[in-house]
Amino acid sequence: MGGLVRVLFFGAAAEAAGRTEESFTAQDTAALRRQLTEKYPALAGIPFRMALNKTLLKEESVLKINDIIAVLPPFQGG
Amino acid sequence: MNHTRPFMKNRYLVGGPITPLLISELMTLGNDDTGAGAVSIFIGKVRGDEIEGKRVTAIEYSAYEEMAVREADGIVNTVRSAFSDVRSVLILHSMGVVRAGEASLFIMVTAGRRDQASRACRHTLEMVKEKLPIWKKELF
Repeated sequence: MGGLVRVLFFGAAAEAAGRTEESFTAQDTAALRRQLTEKYPALAGIPFRMALNKTLLKEESVLKINDIIAVLPPFQGG
Repeated sequence: MNHTRPFMKNRYLVGGPITPLLISELMTLGNDDTGAGAVSIFIGKVRGDEIEGKRVTAIEYSAYEEMAVREADGIVNTVRSAFSDVRSVLILHSMGVVRAGEASLFIMVTAGRRDQASRACRHTLEMVKEKLPIWKKELF
């Protein structure tokens, strides 16, 4: 299916994309990942992970309309 | 003293530094639990590191707040089930600007006795660093 998903950018990913939020249309997270690094080449230099609806992705996943994907650079809390 | 009241974004994230006043208030939590004979606390502070010849004067923290709450809930549950003597686990992390020398992380674990209080506090700290979606930006 795939669909219009909301993508949130955090930390260095927000700086690389020059924004904190954007909509994308993608079938799955692998396709979305490619779109993201093509549109924002600086993202390719960041070893980011993604969360789908607030849960860290352990493997690629199909996307549904209105899913929320977060682009997460390495965590730096503490 | 309302002007010193910290801005709690949720139960795990607070705007600005974790002040000595806030720490002293947090330490009174659980005083009614007279079965807790041990309290272990970790306080993380902002270092004034030198990066490429420039001194860090502050760090600006940001987070994916909704996910941080979910992950922190998971950490608390994991620690409580892994350490049977633990009676409470408190995690508080700063958001926004915290100056060098100020505290940005507070962890407090209470337990019946010292061994699990100490080990559970360290375990909580490692999970906070690994699992909470928090980022920092050095300010010079």
